[in-house]
Formats: sequence, structure tokens, C-alpha cells
Amino acid sequence: MSTERRFGRVLIANRGEIALRIQRACRQLGLETVAVYSEADADSRHVHEADIALCIGAPAASRSYLDPEGLLLAARMTGATAIHPGYGFLSENADFADAVEAAGLTFVGPTGDSIRMMGDKITAKRTMQAAGVPCVPGSDGSLPAATDEILALAETVGFPVIVKASGGGGGRGMRVVHHATDLAEAVALTAKEAQQAFGNPTLYLERFMQKPRHIEIQVLCDTHGNALWLGARDCSLQRRHQKILEEAPAPGIDPATIAEIGERCAEACRRIGYRGAGTFEFLYEDGVFAFIEMNTRVQVEHPVTEQITDIDIVAEQLRIAQGEPLRVRQEDIAFRGHAIECRLNAEDAFTFLPSPGTVTRWDLPGGPGIRIDTHVVAGYTIQPYYDSLIGKIISYGATREEAIARLRVALAEMNVEGVSTNIRLHEDLLADPHIQEGGMDIHFLERWLEERTAS
Amino acid sequence: MTGTPSLLPSFDSVSHPDDIGRLADLLVEAGLETLELSNQDGSRLFIRVSQPQSVQDERPSSSLHTGTPTHVHDTTVSVKTPYFGLLSYTHPLREEPFAPVGSTVQRSDVVALLTLETLQIPVLAGADGEVMEVTAQAGALVGFGTEIMKIRPISI
Repeated sequence: MSTERRFGRVLIANRGEIALRIQRACRQLGLETVAVYSEADADSRHVHEADIALCIGAPAASRSYLDPEGLLLAARMTGATAIHPGYGFLSENADFADAVEAAGLTFVGPTGDSIRMMGDKITAKRTMQAAGVPCVPGSDGSLPAATDEILALAETVGFPVIVKASGGGGGRGMRVVHHATDLAEAVALTAKEAQQAFGNPTLYLERFMQKPRHIEIQVLCDTHGNALWLGARDCSLQRRHQKILEEAPAPGIDPATIAEIGERCAEACRRIGYRGAGTFEFLYEDGVFAFIEMNTRVQVEHPVTEQITDIDIVAEQLRIAQGEPLRVRQEDIAFRGHAIECRLNAEDAFTFLPSPGTVTRWDLPGGPGIRIDTHVVAGYTIQPYYDSLIGKIISYGATREEAIARLRVALAEMNVEGVSTNIRLHEDLLADPHIQEGGMDIHFLERWLEERTAS
Repeated sequence: MTGTPSLLPSFDSVSHPDDIGRLADLLVEAGLETLELSNQDGSRLFIRVSQPQSVQDERPSSSLHTGTPTHVHDTTVSVKTPYFGLLSYTHPLREEPFAPVGSTVQRSDVVALLTLETLQIPVLAGADGEVMEVTAQAGALVGFGTEIMKIRPISI
């Protein structure tokens, strides 16, 4: 294959742990790497280890990791012919994906059209419905203009409903309405906010599920019409819509149900000609799956799926981008054991205030079933400019109980000084009987934190 | 060229001498010699400016013409790149460097160029002073914020 490959040098348009993760996958496949970095990240591990490292701008992301022209120029100046966007930053920017391909380079991800389709929540939902992916009851498209029509729609869907901005995401631009009398005002306010935040006042409406879990399906699709689903992850433990602990498989959900949903997701991918890695996010309540959105990139929590399937998702992304067909067939994928990931953040375990600064001690845990994905080393300075994720501990066990037991030992072994971390939060969470039992809903963590503060 | 289109007046109104003068100043500042604009009607505007022959000719060393500087800092000031690109200390059409070691420069003088494909970005001196050392390799791809030169500031 090596003589036919499309690219031999990959520019990694990201930073932190995912940049290092991508670099490892490139190395494993014999690809050279270009680390582009902001002035604040000059001492990052992946920068030191890259084949070519180039500082492209000031610490502000808009001057570096979010600068499409700068990234494209950097690729051309360094001879990189592929760009891996990682997650966040420009990973789901359709115009950037188009610009990369228009420049004759390979974007390690889906086409701009796919990203655009999934970025618009209404189009995404319609597409998924058409492909047989279950969706939450709601408005079929954008809300009508007339208030009485919106009300009639909401009555049909059933209160409580959630009004959402079509261009929104990450928990912004949404409002829950419990009573018909509050609907008109909520719609007006959300439209105004959506216009201000996203430049698009278009809204849609859905049944508000009261105690759902967040279940997501990982997919991998090549450019030869093959689409695989790699099982489910449960990412219900969230604070302010930010995931904090994820696991695979989803506890208590019948594998046959997951297989059925997974196959529908894969079929949707085949229909839209999706390429690369992607994630279908669902709310799950009382046996009902409701599609929320599709993320058209690699996820932070991808390692838990890697652990239970033994498939290297990032390496597969690169192979797919090379034009290679997937070498694994659906029937070959076996789901073995259980994996849990704790996101380590440089923040206070109780107040959640970010804690940038220099890490003076960084003792990592080890032992069977423990994987650490981190860019941090002792002496590393955590910058205030970016998110506070400093690494991930991923624990694997034959059973969920074993994975939790190993994770608790690992967290206890981990010793960090110089900055505050949320290790204590994870330790407390994993000691909780509800979490040990599994199957928490997405509001569990917020309630748990309130109770902790009260006691 | 990033930012430049907004600096250029619309071509139809460019004939005003003030506009041409302003363009000429921009060319000098960027270390460029000529600018040619043309439109579909065949109208053409050609501006040629004279760059200083070399920094040394233009600004004689302080010891010869201005006596001993009143104050010399012990520390040097780094000249850092405002972007990334291929580094050149010499104008592509000249042989003499913009600011060789030992020459004196004024704040905002062009001391090097960064080339990115067809784009050229000037690197400017951050202080009045004497060039003490050239610290990056000509022809290398340098990153944003790379120190390329040390200047000993001179307050005159």
C-alpha cells in the first residue's frame, strides 16, 4: 500500500493530549508528523517529538489553532499533504474541510458537505429520520411563525418540550418549557439569543425527556461504501453539558438493542456517503432511543471503545483518509470487557475553577488494564488559554466491577502537585453506590454535586 | 497578501497623488521596489520606489556622526518574527543584507523578510540600536515569535 498512499506527512491541527494521540497513530503507520503550535504550547510533548514543529501564532486560538489560512499555509510550507483536525477547534468546520481539499490536501475527516449537513440540527434530524434512526418526537423542521401553530405543535409532541436553536450546540441556545402558557415567551427569547449567538434565529422543538441517559454509537466508514458500528458508550455523567466520565459498553442495555441501533447508524452513514469516524449521540429513556446529533470527528472518549473492540480509531481514520478499505467486517468485531475513562481536568475538584500553572509532580498510575492518554509531564505548564483537560485515565477490566476497581486504585496512585485537579471528584464519584451500580441519567452529576455541597 | 487589499485604494481613484504617495510609503516600509496594478480596460499604474542602498549607507554609525550614545543598555533587544515563513535577511533583488551585524537600525526598519509562497512579510526592528548578532539561519523555515536578531538599544 505504501507506494499508493495519498500522503506521507500529516499536519496535526490541534494541541494537548489529542495531538499526541494522533502523532502516535501517524508514527505507527509510518507517517511523518508536523506539529503546528501556538507560542503558549512550545514546550508540549508532541511538539518536541514531531518530525517538523512550527509555531504558527500567538496563544489566542483565533491566532493559531482556529486560523484556517495559517494552518493551510503551514501545511504547504512544511510539505504536509494531509491535515488531521483532532476534536474541537476546526474539526467540525465545513468550510475548513472544503478549503483543505480545495488546496489539494487530504482532510482526515468527512467531507465539508457531511459536516455541514450534521452541523445543522434540523437537516441532521431529517436525514436520520429518513434513514430509520430513531429521533425524539418534535417539530419536523423549523418552528412555524404563528404562535398558535407552535402551541398546537407542542401539544402534539407533549409537554415538557425543549426549544432549541438550529445552529446551536454544546448546551447553548436551548430552553425547557413545562407549561403551554410559557411557550410564546420562551420561543421569543431563544430566537433572540440564537440570533445573537449563532447569527441564525431558526428554532426547533422536541419533547423534553426528563431523566434520559446519554448513549452514543461510534461509527467508522471508508470510501468504499463500508460502514461499521463499534458499539455504544454511556456518557451520562455530565456537568453543564461537559462529559466527565464515560464508559463502554452502556450498562444495563441489551446488546441486541445496541446492535439494532448501531446497524441503523451504519446504514445512515452508507446513505449519506459518510467518511471517517463519527458518533451518533442519543438520549435514552425507558427503552426509547432519540437521536440528538452526530459528531463528525473523533471524540475525547474514543479510547473506551478502542479498549473493548481492540480497534485503533485514530489509525483507522488515517487509513480511511488514505483511501484504504476497512479491513475489519462487522461480524469480526467482538465487544470484550468493560472500559471507563475519567477526564482529568486542571480545576478545583469542588469549585471547578480552572487551575493553570506548572505541574511540579506528575506520578502516573499503572498496572493491568490502565491506559493514560496525556500530554502532561512533570514541569509542564498548563496554559490558561485553552480548555482544562490535562489527560485521561482509561481503565479496562473483564467486568465493569473490575474496571472500577482498577480505576479506583489508579486514581489513588496518581499524584499531582503544582496545580489542582479533579482526581478527588472522580474518587468520590466511583465510591458512590449509584455509580457502582451504573445507569445514571444525565442529571445525576448535577444533583450529586448539589447534595455534596449541601452536606 | 493578508491585510493589503484594504490598504489599496480602489483602482479608479488611485490617480490622486496623495494615494500614490501613500502606496509608495507602504512599499518602502515593506522593503519592496515596484507595484503594478492593472484592470480589465488595460489601464495600468506602475509605482517604483527607491529603497535605501543599505541600512549602513542610509544611517551612518553613531560613533562617526552622532558621537557616543548618551546611554547604552547592557541587555540586547530581540527582534522576533511576526509570523512564520522562510527567513531572508536580504532583499531578493539586492546583495547587501537589510541590517548586517554592526549596522545601526531605527525602530520599525525592515531587517528581514518572511516569504510564504507569493507572500512576503517584513520583520521590523523593535528598537533603535546596533545589530549585535543574527540568531537564525537565512533560508530556514522559522516559526512565529522566533528571535532572528539581537539589537543593542541606543538612546540618542
